[in-house]
Amino acid sequence: MLLAYRCALASERVTATGIEANEFPQLAQEMGVWAVPRIAVNGVPQWDGAVPEPEFLRRVTAPSST
Amino acid sequence: MPLLSPDEEAKVRGWFAELERPVELLVAVGPEETPAAGARDIDFGAEMVRMCEALAELGDRVTCHVEPEPDGFPRFPSVSIRPQGRDAGVRYDGLPWGYELSSLVGAIVEAGRAEPTLRPESRAALQSLDRDLALDVFVTPT
Repeated sequence: MLLAYRCALASERVTATGIEANEFPQLAQEMGVWAVPRIAVNGVPQWDGAVPEPEFLRRVTAPSST
Repeated sequence: MPLLSPDEEAKVRGWFAELERPVELLVAVGPEETPAAGARDIDFGAEMVRMCEALAELGDRVTCHVEPEPDGFPRFPSVSIRPQGRDAGVRYDGLPWGYELSSLVGAIVEAGRAEPTLRPESRAALQSLDRDLALDVFVTPT
């Protein structure tokens, strides 16, 4: 979570939202949340689980991430 | 019930005392979804306000402001963590229960820093972005 927040604070092109899945079950279902943390980029689910900063940046900035 | 244990509160006070710039917590309240079966039966909005007001009491540079149904918030309750009152796109939707309270505290600490704490190569990657990125991180209370 904090990595996503740091990205948003570092770039005006990035927003980061933590979402409590149990409180928003419809959205969680749409995003296929079965394990957490689940990361979605521009509304598209990408992966589950925490990853180190370089890998996180590689994944979210990859052209295929959106 | 207090938000934090005495030891935790002392730590958070220490972190908030180090903030280099003010951080506003904008709490957005409004109509709430019916939570998943088994979720706690509470007033999520009222609890979010209580949490954020309690955090704001732990540091002179942290303030809390509550708005009913502000524009641009698709879900309620939500808290926008704003460095110097600016919407930097940092939010938490829903109640930050359990370990996720530390995510909210961490977001406040990060927003209170004058400079981002990312590695230089990470900052460079973000600066070269040619599109907007909306990162959603789904969590559950632990």
